[in-house]
Amino acid sequence: MTLPQPTARTGADQDVEVSLTVNGSPVTVSLPARVTLSDALRDHLGLTGTHVGCEHGICGMCTVLVDGDAARACLLFAVQLDGAEITTVEGLGRPDELHPLQEAFGRHHGLQCGFCTPGFLMSSYDLLTHEPDVEREDLPSKLSGVLCRCTGYRGIVDAVDEVAHAHRDGLPGPGNCHRRTLVGRTAAGTTVPPAVDQPAGEGPGADEGHPEEIALPEGEPTIRIDVTSALDAAPEDVARVFHDVRLLARCLPGAELTDDLGDDWYRGRARVALGPVKLAFNGMAHILEQSDERIRMNGQGRDSGGGGAQAGITMVAAPGDDGGTTLRATADVFLTGRIAGFGRSLAGDVSRRMFADFARALDRAAAGEEPAVDARPPSAVALLWSSLVDRVRARRRRATSGRRRRP
Amino acid sequence: MKAAPFAYTRPGTVEEVVADLAREDAKVIAGGQSLVPVLAMRLGRPALLVDVNAVPELDALTRDGDVVRVGATVRQRRTERSELAAAVPLLRMALPWVGHREIRSRGTVCGSIAHADPSAELPAVARCLGATMVLTSTHGTREVPAADFFSGAMTTAVAADELLTQVAFPVARRDEGFGFGEFARRHGDFALAGVAVRVRAPGHGDGPEARVTCFGVSDVPVTADVSAELRAGLEAVGPAPSRGELVSALAGHAGDVARAVVDTGGDSHASPEYRRRLLSGLIAREVAAAYLRATRPETERSPR
Repeated sequence: MTLPQPTARTGADQDVEVSLTVNGSPVTVSLPARVTLSDALRDHLGLTGTHVGCEHGICGMCTVLVDGDAARACLLFAVQLDGAEITTVEGLGRPDELHPLQEAFGRHHGLQCGFCTPGFLMSSYDLLTHEPDVEREDLPSKLSGVLCRCTGYRGIVDAVDEVAHAHRDGLPGPGNCHRRTLVGRTAAGTTVPPAVDQPAGEGPGADEGHPEEIALPEGEPTIRIDVTSALDAAPEDVARVFHDVRLLARCLPGAELTDDLGDDWYRGRARVALGPVKLAFNGMAHILEQSDERIRMNGQGRDSGGGGAQAGITMVAAPGDDGGTTLRATADVFLTGRIAGFGRSLAGDVSRRMFADFARALDRAAAGEEPAVDARPPSAVALLWSSLVDRVRARRRRATSGRRRRP
Repeated sequence: MKAAPFAYTRPGTVEEVVADLAREDAKVIAGGQSLVPVLAMRLGRPALLVDVNAVPELDALTRDGDVVRVGATVRQRRTERSELAAAVPLLRMALPWVGHREIRSRGTVCGSIAHADPSAELPAVARCLGATMVLTSTHGTREVPAADFFSGAMTTAVAADELLTQVAFPVARRDEGFGFGEFARRHGDFALAGVAVRVRAPGHGDGPEARVTCFGVSDVPVTADVSAELRAGLEAVGPAPSRGELVSALAGHAGDVARAVVDTGGDSHASPEYRRRLLSGLIAREVAAAYLRATRPETERSPR
């Protein structure tokens, strides 16, 4: 562990800039000195896997790794951790490839409500990396830094004991630590990687300028979309829309282009409402390729309420039957924060529906029809209803044709 | 449970730290494991926190002749793992009882001693071993022996403008054995009663010496010389007793010591009388264990 650099005095009402490595991603946040690491992770970086229970160092819910050792995030001021390496439960495993500890907790019913689980996972990870030979009889006291009110601890002890026996020669490291963009819930949190080229005197997230690139995370996306639509419009009309970014944005329900930043960079916002869930994204898009038949772009957005999305989108137009156009849209969507908690199935259905709506709107735009200026955000009922209808149809198709048509 | 706003500074030298401490209502923060809960519950609202973690000289854990010097920012967990700190066996016996692993990752040895909670382990260790506290302010540096350091619950000889820069623990002598134990509601809780024990094996014509420091039973750690009690116990069972025999022989004497030492008013967790009974058992058990460690051959003497 290296010592933090000295820093000059900051007033009680001022923000301090803190640079951390969180789950392999370098981030810089600007926050008041009194903000704890747990709040910084949750509110400024959107990593809500770290739970907050008692907030004064008793319950252990907020346990994370700081420079490889477990510590309670509610008992650390983020400002004290300048230069530190933090690993949270989000870094431990991937949804499609869980860490052995996560697998074992599931197998042994080591969780019920799940509130203490991130704390137990990080505490037991720390225990098994530093004391791989720990005996079962010592586990209750070794794990006493985290409280569970559901399980009676038996399942937890079983899970940790099994992993300890399976990995006496070394526990696999965190499986989901790599560079990605973390997006927080408050305007104060900005996490564009420090490599971003900014004019002097302006922090990341300033109103002018754009980053050099939108770096998509490595690893599996949260959602992978592949939607093919048959358009009535002729390829040359679709090409016209492909070259008009403002019109393209209009075709996406709820989306709005607010600034042309130059160099193929655009700023915009998008609204999505799903029942009680209302998301309002502010973000940027960078067009990487733009031709008559192909558009490729990366986008990232921050939801004002607690989540982030990044996507790499490719749309390819090809001549279709009867003089029409076949539009194929593929996208890798990475979600963080609260929206990642929706579950892939629902988020995937909603995203596919949005692309289908987009294709229809594009078809109309290609025919010369201006999309509605005051585009209403996709409504909960409509979206969910059409998702359900799609599912019913898909099921019926599978039942009748015996083939899986949907990814 | 959010701390009230405070100003923050992280100087790079001890001189700057003590200059900041001299100027205003400031509080030192190192690991913060005792301070942050106090701030979170708004029991304390210092105007300025002076973070000492960027001062390289405070991060030192060194052997200096007959003492091990532990700097202000040295974490408890680092001390627990350190071969160098193994020269102070009582420290290594006590550290696993301090909070939990997650606390010890960040909590410091000096911080626990400066915080001086009456039921904390490390102040008792410092008191039992006669450690020396090194305090620095803009007026200079002074050394305070543990016997003069703890003046009341969470009150010590450290003045508002002083920094506890290091604690010097005496290295164990070859004829010394140690014992440590405590009772708490759950592991990691503050102790209802606990003891740190040092025994010196009988020398040339002298009997054994024993001292016990009790914690959780008064507003400061309380040290008692129990050499006479140990000798009386040994007279009853002979110079090479089993552990069980010696514990039994010490039990009556331990009860007398416990009655004299416990002066806490008690709380909902444990009445004074209950604490006396816990303490009595601990004294007999740990004095016996320490005596056996002190008198056993070198090869068998490492604790645990």
